[in-house]
Amino acid sequence: MTTTRPQPGVVSPGAVGCPAIAVHNLTVSYSERPVLRSVTMEVERGQLVGIIGPNGAGKSTLLKAVLGLIDIDSGTARIYGEPINQARKRVAYVPQTSAVDWDFPVTVRDVVLMGRYGRLGWVRRPSRVDRTVARESLERVGVADFADRHIRQLSGGQQQRVFLARALCQQADVMLLDEPFAGVDAATERAIFELFQRLTAERCTLLVVNHDLGVLDKFDHLLLLNQRVIAYGPSHDVATEANIQRTYGGRLSLLDRAESALRGAT
Amino acid sequence: MIVSLAQIDFRPEFWLYPLTDQHMLMGTLTSVLVGMTCGVLGCFVVLRRMALIGDALSHAVLPGVVIAFLVTKDTGVVGLLFGALLAGLATAVLINLVSHHSRTKEDSAIGIVFTALFALGLVLISNLPRGTHFDLKCFIFGIPEAVGPSDLLLMAVISMIVLATVAMLYHPMKLITFDPVVAAAMGLPVLAFHYLLMGMISATVVAGLKTTGVVLVVAMVITPASAAYQLCNRFSSMLVLAGVFGGVSALVGMVLSYVFNMPSGPSMVLVATVIFGMAMLLSPKHGVVFRRIRRWRHRQHIEEEDVIKAINKLAADRIVAAPAAIAGQSRLAVERVTRVLRGLQRQRLIADSRDGVALTELGERRAIELVRAHRLWESYLADRANVPAADVHEQAEVLEHAHELADEVDETLGHPGVDPHGTPIPAQKQP
Repeated sequence: MTTTRPQPGVVSPGAVGCPAIAVHNLTVSYSERPVLRSVTMEVERGQLVGIIGPNGAGKSTLLKAVLGLIDIDSGTARIYGEPINQARKRVAYVPQTSAVDWDFPVTVRDVVLMGRYGRLGWVRRPSRVDRTVARESLERVGVADFADRHIRQLSGGQQQRVFLARALCQQADVMLLDEPFAGVDAATERAIFELFQRLTAERCTLLVVNHDLGVLDKFDHLLLLNQRVIAYGPSHDVATEANIQRTYGGRLSLLDRAESALRGAT
Repeated sequence: MIVSLAQIDFRPEFWLYPLTDQHMLMGTLTSVLVGMTCGVLGCFVVLRRMALIGDALSHAVLPGVVIAFLVTKDTGVVGLLFGALLAGLATAVLINLVSHHSRTKEDSAIGIVFTALFALGLVLISNLPRGTHFDLKCFIFGIPEAVGPSDLLLMAVISMIVLATVAMLYHPMKLITFDPVVAAAMGLPVLAFHYLLMGMISATVVAGLKTTGVVLVVAMVITPASAAYQLCNRFSSMLVLAGVFGGVSALVGMVLSYVFNMPSGPSMVLVATVIFGMAMLLSPKHGVVFRRIRRWRHRQHIEEEDVIKAINKLAADRIVAAPAAIAGQSRLAVERVTRVLRGLQRQRLIADSRDGVALTELGERRAIELVRAHRLWESYLADRANVPAADVHEQAEVLEHAHELADEVDETLGHPGVDPHGTPIPAQKQP
């Protein structure tokens, strides 16, 4: 994972001083069942933030809400003070690899080059610059040797690297990643964290959904999430036994009980 | 349908009649255009797992066609096309509505919407004013003989539009098909693309109705694309190949239907199915045939190595390496051994010697490589995998065939001198 990172997109002047990601009082529900309740958080530029929580805690939903991919009941999510639709070029998204169709007829190079499509618009073809950026992204995550392979022919770690490369190829300065450590070996996990460190050093902001509680200290900030924000702040302050217990413990909070009482349920 | 060979006319001009007769040619050309266009669009349908939608669209255009017929009072192609387009888009919208605003899953929603629209079409037909002629049979089964110049022109225009659209929007369409969520996150209009695709499929289906009919046109969408899917690792090559398969199916189907006096729509579909079947069997990566061949080659490779080892062992024990002795040593049947020996001789790994065979210099090197791999793997199993020393031999018999990994094993173990039985491990071969 070497070579320098391509320069990020032009920073719009209005963005100065705004947090990279600002989520305010966000509530999302799927068919009237709340998934996220009044989530508020701000991420400063250049931070590496981990989102921790049990299954169904709304971690992926939070990413999708920030990306404007799902309807939200109330609240706002902004990127550098702007609504997502004005900031799409600044944001890259790495979905869970379990959602990928691995039989699709594409090579590794094709997938990475797709990172440029957001800039191409409808009819423009990838230019030489686009191809160069794609190659550099591949080299950066260490899968350049597999560029012409079909995506089915990769190991779990290589698959994650390819989709990271696609996100790098977008040259965004905000990256949202959904479980990038799922199915990877220890060496790849280390390599990915090194890449994250280098990206934050370049003032790139990363919001990472993570399942593994063993690597909490590698994040600058942590969001402990279980539908509500259980705790948010610098990792060493937040990652306490009590907080994690509250996040993963199945006990209903008083707020949940109040809500079901108000709905008439018992 | 012709049953005996004697009834078949083998004159080339007879076989080429669908291409030389001016009236037949129109039907043939229209069918080929339908096949090509359906093949290309089918790639999106197959990759997005929307096969049922293809079926739905083809049926749901019926009420659109009938309403257009009622309004314009004639079977003018442009009117029919607009009717069908509207019906196609209505289908797509209705399916979306039903599956998003009820518990109904998408496949059931598709089933409900298209059967309802098809039923509505049938009711409308039965209520057509007296004296009007609407040929339902043509709609359902297709009659390419009835294709006229206006049908050919319409299909030509639609093919051009569809193929040009796919060529122009190739990149965004590829991304939206592969990864709609990320495409949406990048700001690509995923929903607009969905309706564009639905519209293109409806237009192609209605223009192609006369050639295959509503029931079989879905085969022209799905089958050539599925055949190409078996063979391609790139999206662009899949699009091209599916188009070619579709066109060839239509052409060959038309000729066969004429020569053997069969209905043309079903002939095209059967040709497409044969192409699909061949792709399934012969695909280099996923095909049944090549997988068999690969497995057979692998087994042969292992047998060859076992025989080399046996000859090596016999030579060390100063026993004449005759086939029977090799068979006893390698646990292979004598007739297998003779066949393997012939192969090894061709590869110059063995040569004839007094009464039996002997390894050549090349063969000896292979034998040492195998012995080295075997002993290294034994050490690895005992050292790193906690396999009892008594069992390592049996497992190493299998692992030794992965001798390309031997150097790595050697490295990992820190270059051991002897195996768990105390036998020396041969040194790495000199390049």
